[in-house]
Amino acid sequence: MERFITHKKGQFVMIAVLMIAIMIISIGALMHRAVTYYRHEPWEEYLTLIGAIELNSLRLIELSLANYTNTDSPDQDILRTNLEKWQANLTRIYLGYGISLNSSNDCLACDWNKNSSSSGANAAFTLDIASIGLTGYKFMAKAFLNLTILNKIDNEINVTVRGEDGTPITGLGKDNFQVSNSTMILNMTSVASYYEPKEIQVYTINCSENMTTPITVKVWDERGIQVTAKYP
Amino acid sequence: MMRNGKKGQMRIIEAILASFIIIFALSFANIFVITPTSPKYEVTELQKLGYNVLHDLDEQALLARFIYNKEGDNITAALRVLLPLDVHFSMTVYDLQGIKTDNTAIFYGDTETFATSKNIASVTYGLVGYATKINDAYQATYEPRIVILQLARG
Repeated sequence: MERFITHKKGQFVMIAVLMIAIMIISIGALMHRAVTYYRHEPWEEYLTLIGAIELNSLRLIELSLANYTNTDSPDQDILRTNLEKWQANLTRIYLGYGISLNSSNDCLACDWNKNSSSSGANAAFTLDIASIGLTGYKFMAKAFLNLTILNKIDNEINVTVRGEDGTPITGLGKDNFQVSNSTMILNMTSVASYYEPKEIQVYTINCSENMTTPITVKVWDERGIQVTAKYP
Repeated sequence: MMRNGKKGQMRIIEAILASFIIIFALSFANIFVITPTSPKYEVTELQKLGYNVLHDLDEQALLARFIYNKEGDNITAALRVLLPLDVHFSMTVYDLQGIKTDNTAIFYGDTETFATSKNIASVTYGLVGYATKINDAYQATYEPRIVILQLARG
C-alpha cells in the first residue's frame, strides 16, 4: 500500500490507460451505431405506388388521344370509357391497397387543318388509398401536340412540333411525317432539323415532287398522337 | 523546475501521438466495415428497389415498349443494369384475366436463390397500353398488363 502511494508515476499511467480504454470503447460503440443505423420510412414505399398510378394515368390520357387522332371515325367518349375502365381495373391490379381513383373535367379535342394545328387531352384525378389513410390526393394529367407550318419554299417545308408547355419535340424523322397535296401523298426525300433562335427547333421536310398548294402535313410523335396541319 | 516543465511537454506530446494512433486505427478499421443489411427490413428494401426500377423504366417510356413488343431480352438487360449485382430477379407479365402474355423467361440469377431465400420481395406494377405502329398507322388500345417482379438477394 505504501508503495502505491509513493509511486505516483505508475498511478498516472494506469489512469491514462483506463481513460483511453473507455474512450476506445465509447467511440467503437458510437461508430457501430452510426453504421448500423436504419431509419424506416414507410411513406417511401407508398410514394412509388402513387408515382406509378400518376404516371400510368398520364399514359392513359396519351393513349386515348393517340386512339382518337388515329381513327377515321373517332369515338368522342374514348377518354371517358378508358378512364372508367382504368378506375375499375386499378383495384384488381393493386390488390389489398384499397385504391380508389376518380376523374373529373376530362376533355379531348383536336383543332386541325390550320397553319398551326393541335391535338390535346386532359383530366383531373383524385386518388384515395385506404390502406395508408391517404384521401384526396389530387393531380392533373395532360397530353398535347402542336404542329405549325412556318413556310414553304419550292420543294421544302419548314415546320415546328411542340409538346406540353410549348417544349419542342426532338428526334422526329421521315417516319413521323407525311406530306400530301390535294391529289396525292408526296414522296419525302429527307427530314432534317436545325436550331433557330425564335422557334428553338425547326424541321425541314424536302419532297421530290413539285409541291402545289394547298399542302397538308401530318405528324405522329413517339406516343402515337397525330396532328394534321394545312398550308396556306 | 525546468526538469518538471520538460516532463509536462513530453506528456502532451505523448498524448497527441496516442490520439493520432487511435484516430489512425479507427479510420483503418472503418475501411473494412461493411454496412450490415437489416433482415427485418430486407423485403421492404427490395420492394422499394423494384418499384423504383420499374418506375424509372416506365418514365423513360421503355417498360411499355419492351412489354407490349415482347422484348424479353431487352427487359432482362435493362433490369441487370439498373439493379445491384447481388439482386436476382424474375419477371412475369399477366393480362387482367391472370393469363401469362409472354412465355419468354425474364430471369437473372440462380433458381436456388428463389427456392432457398427467406426474403423474397414481390412488386406489382400496372400498365395501361402502348401505341404501336402497324402498316403505317398507329393502334392505341386500352390493354392493361400486370407486371410481377420478384426480387431476392443472392
